[in-house]
Amino acid sequence: MNGQGGTAVRMTGVRLRQPHFQLGPIHLEVPAGFVTAIVGPNGSGKSTTFRLMLDLTKPDEGGIEVLGRTIGNGKSIELLKRVGYLPEEPYRHDNVIRGMDKAEFYKHWYPDWDVNHYRELLRLFEVDHSIRLGKMSKGMRRKFDLALTLSHHPDLLLLDEPSSGLDPLAWRTMIELLHRYMESGDRTILIASHVVEEVKRLADFIVFMVNGKVLGMYEKDELLTGWHQFYFPGGYEKWRAVLSEMPGLAGLEDAGGVVRAVTSSAREADAWIAARELVPAGRKSMELDDILAVLVEREKRQRQYGMKGVVQ
Amino acid sequence: MWMSIQLNEYSAEPLYHQIEVQLRALIVSGQLSEGTMLPSIREMAQHLKCSVITIRRVYQDLEAEGLLVTRQGTGTFVAKVNPEERRRHRLDAVTTAMREAVAAGLRVQCSDDELRELFETVLHEARANRSPPGEEGYGECGKEDEG
Repeated sequence: MNGQGGTAVRMTGVRLRQPHFQLGPIHLEVPAGFVTAIVGPNGSGKSTTFRLMLDLTKPDEGGIEVLGRTIGNGKSIELLKRVGYLPEEPYRHDNVIRGMDKAEFYKHWYPDWDVNHYRELLRLFEVDHSIRLGKMSKGMRRKFDLALTLSHHPDLLLLDEPSSGLDPLAWRTMIELLHRYMESGDRTILIASHVVEEVKRLADFIVFMVNGKVLGMYEKDELLTGWHQFYFPGGYEKWRAVLSEMPGLAGLEDAGGVVRAVTSSAREADAWIAARELVPAGRKSMELDDILAVLVEREKRQRQYGMKGVVQ
Repeated sequence: MWMSIQLNEYSAEPLYHQIEVQLRALIVSGQLSEGTMLPSIREMAQHLKCSVITIRRVYQDLEAEGLLVTRQGTGTFVAKVNPEERRRHRLDAVTTAMREAVAAGLRVQCSDDELRELFETVLHEARANRSPPGEEGYGECGKEDEG
């Protein structure tokens, strides 16, 4: 279950029904030894997914395994000591205590607490832990919580928007530290992030999540080199039929005098275009947020019309 | 020296392939000498901003070609390349790069003459701008003395 090749978190058919939100069914396998990023718009269920993994929320259906153990059978406590969790919002109820008091609590709770590592992280992040948590600035609090989370050498790190509030320098320090954390090769990070650059720098795998559903999991480099957009001069009607055959077609739209065709298989599309002697007016690789936008759009359309195709 | 590897993010060419071509060239040309320790997979991935899956594939492929050796627990090193192999590899890398250049030309409907002319121009430019040998080193950040 540890090291590359295993699975750090496995969710099978997990469903959660809440008054305003439905999650699932989620099938997800987070590979051990890698950094997996969950990317999706606000309200797509990322934080809820973390809470389910930590047994903080109970699913209505389905099974969850973390580091090889089943969650939710009342025996999660020992397991959770091997997990480092940074929630999206800091806990307000410990605003009145000082940083060092909270560290003291962690020392008792986590058997692998490493005070030297903790001190080094405070120094790197330039955090003064004698300040009350509620008095710390947003960025300082974030850095402090990150330091705490890393100081007990967890096997699995669950980071929910870790960089919110960090200045660019602290952000770089965080990226560096997370790479260092992964260096041993047997640890796992699952990170939810909106920051494209962060995902690019850290992730090995990317999971897209929209509307409580996992749309797919991709190897990052394959994803980013695979998705390209091509522009063809002329009207939509002229191109619709021809381009609907394009390999990997994921989106086709009128972009005002040109037709924009998005493919998830750029190389095959290249060959296909060349074989038909089509001449695109331009092409571009796509950033993560461009890809997400196409997937969200497609999901929306499928939900509305219940259709699979990308061509209307 | 491996720091000179540059990726074209805008290309549809898989990253592992881009890295492999460049790293192979560095080894075969002798710019990365025998016994040089390469960064760990995670470090290399961090430096090139790509995934460890990509780097692992590159290291495995080059190991299979006999250009790299991994010693358990120590790291990945540049292997000894014998002169015969070096000659073959040397031309392999160039042939591959040429194929790619020609493919790029054909994609935009270049004629044979245009391609030949481009080749001459680029070669001419390269000869004119070429820096004297031995000046392009960044140093290996103290990694050469290990292994």
